Amino acid sequence: MDKIELKNLLFLARINAKEEEYPELIKKLQNTFVLIDEMQDLDLSDLEPLNNPLELSNVSREDTDKNRNNKKKFLDNSPESDEDYFNVPKIIE
Amino acid sequence: MNFKELRDNFRTKKISAKEAVKESLAKIKDDKLNIFINHFEKEALGNAEHIDNNFEDFKDKPLSGVPIAHKDIFCTEGLPTTCGSKMLENFIAPYDSTVVKNCLDAGSIMVAKTNMDEFAMGSSNETSYFGAVSNPWNHDLVPGGSSGGAAACVSANLTTISTGTDTGGSIRQPAALCGITGLKPTYGLVSRWGMIAFCSSMDQAGPFSKDAFGCAALLDAMASYDEKDSTCTKRKEINFEKSLSKDFGSLNVGVIKNIEKLGINEDIINAYETSKTVLTGLGHKLIEVDFSELSSGICSYYVIAPAECSSNLSRFDGVKYGYRSDGEKDIVNLYMNTRSDGFGDEVKKRILIGTHVLSAGFYDAYYLQAQKVRRMIKVKFENFFKDVDLIFMPTTLDQAFEKNRKSDDPNKMYKEDLLTIPANLAGLPAISFPNGFKNNLPIGGQLIGKYFGEDLLLNTTHKIQEVTDWHKMTP
Repeated sequence: MDKIELKNLLFLARINAKEEEYPELIKKLQNTFVLIDEMQDLDLSDLEPLNNPLELSNVSREDTDKNRNNKKKFLDNSPESDEDYFNVPKIIE
Repeated sequence: MNFKELRDNFRTKKISAKEAVKESLAKIKDDKLNIFINHFEKEALGNAEHIDNNFEDFKDKPLSGVPIAHKDIFCTEGLPTTCGSKMLENFIAPYDSTVVKNCLDAGSIMVAKTNMDEFAMGSSNETSYFGAVSNPWNHDLVPGGSSGGAAACVSANLTTISTGTDTGGSIRQPAALCGITGLKPTYGLVSRWGMIAFCSSMDQAGPFSKDAFGCAALLDAMASYDEKDSTCTKRKEINFEKSLSKDFGSLNVGVIKNIEKLGINEDIINAYETSKTVLTGLGHKLIEVDFSELSSGICSYYVIAPAECSSNLSRFDGVKYGYRSDGEKDIVNLYMNTRSDGFGDEVKKRILIGTHVLSAGFYDAYYLQAQKVRRMIKVKFENFFKDVDLIFMPTTLDQAFEKNRKSDDPNKMYKEDLLTIPANLAGLPAISFPNGFKNNLPIGGQLIGKYFGEDLLLNTTHKIQEVTDWHKMTP
C-alpha cells in the first residue's frame, strides 16, 4: 500500500489522517494483512461462501402502520436540529 | 454471596431488593478498577422499591430482586449508552434494547453499565475511551475484552450477574481471564435489537456469573424471540435453569488432538488435562478431534468483522446523534473530522481494513475467500458433531497479561482469539468456565455445543462445578 492508495482508502472511509501519520498507518495495516493473507494458500474453490451462520431466511412481519411518533426524541439526540430537520453545513455551493 | 443465594434470600424475604441494590451500589461507588462507565443510584433504588412493593408479582421471576450490570453496548432508555467511545459519550438512548427490557421484566435491577473496548473491538479492554479496566486478581493485568468491565464486575463480587456480548470471544475470553463463567449463545438465540452493532453476522449477547447456575437463570431472562431482530430465531422454549438438573447421560466429548502444537501456554494445557479427567470421572467418553485448520479462522474473522464494522459504523457521521466536530464549513469535512476525532485508533484501523477488503479489486481475494473459510469451519464442526455431543478446549492461549503489553509480534493481540473465534464463525454456542489456577490467576476451559444446545452446555458445566471448586475462588 502506498500513500496514494491510503489517501483514497481514508477518503472512502471518511476518516482523516495527517500526512506524517501515513507511514505508521501503512505499517499497521500491512501487518494486519500479513495475518489475513495466511488464508490465501487454501484451495477453497469448491466451497460456497457463508455469510450467515444459520442460513435461515429473514424473519418478516406485516408492513403495518405502528403510529409511533418519536420525531422529537430522535431530533433531540442530534448535535444540531430544528423542529423538523437535522441541521448540517451547506451541501450545495 | 452468589447469584442463587442472593435470589433465594430475596424470595424468602431475608433481604429486600432495595437492600441488595444499596449493598451493590456501595461497592460500585468504591470501585478502583475502572469497571463502570456509569451507575444509576436513583433509577436503581426506584426500580428496587417497585419490585419490593410488588413482591408477589416478581418473586418467581428468573432474576427476582437481583442487581445486574449491563455492558454499555446495550441501549437504555433515557440513560447514557456510550459503547466505550467518545463518539457516544453523551448519547442518551431513545429506547431500551430487548436484552435490557427482558432483564427488567425478569425482576433484575440495573445498577450500572460496564466499561468495554470501544465498539467491542479489542481483547484487553484497553481501547475504551474511558480508560482501561484492571483485572480483579492482579490490578496490573488486563481483564480481557471486549466485555472486560462486565467480567471484572462479577469476578470482584460487585454484582452476581452481568451481560456481555461476544463477536470473537468477548464474553468467553474475559470470563477465563477473570475466573468466572460466561456463555456465548447460538447466533439468533438472543435478540440484537438495541445492541450497538459491530459485526452483525457474529454479534451475540450472553450472560456472565460465577457459575453455570447464574448464567442459566440470566439466559432464561435474555433469550426471547423478537420480531425486531430479523435474525432472531423462533425455537422450542427451553428453561435453562430447570435443565441443570436433567440427566443427559454419558456424553461423547471431543478433545483437541495435538493440542501442544497450537502455541498454548503449558499451565493452560495442564489445567486442560486435569479437566479431561474430571469429564471422564463424570462418566463422559473423550474422543480426539483434529482441528488443525483452527488458525485460518483468525484470518477469516479479521476480514469479515472489519468488513461488517466498516459498514455498521458508517452511521456515525455527526448528523443524527453522537459526537460532532465543531465549526465545519461543508458536509464532507463534517463527516471526516467527526469520525477522525470521535473514533479511537483501533476502531479507525478496523474501519480502514474493512473498507479495503470490500473495495473493488480486493473483494474476491479477501471477503469472498474469508466467507469460504467460514464455510470450511462450519462444515468442520458439522462433521465433528456426527461423533461428539460437545467439544472441549481451552478458552485462551495464556492467562491474563499486563496492560500496555509490548510484543515483537504486532498481531499478538489478534491471535489471542484463536480458540474463541471458530464458534463465532460457525454461530455455535460456547461456554467458558474456570478450570484451574496458576500464580494466583484463573484459567478458563471452554465447551462448544451444537446449535441451540445451550441446555447441554450449561448442564455439563453445572455438573463439573458440582465436583470442582474453581468457580468459588474469589480475588
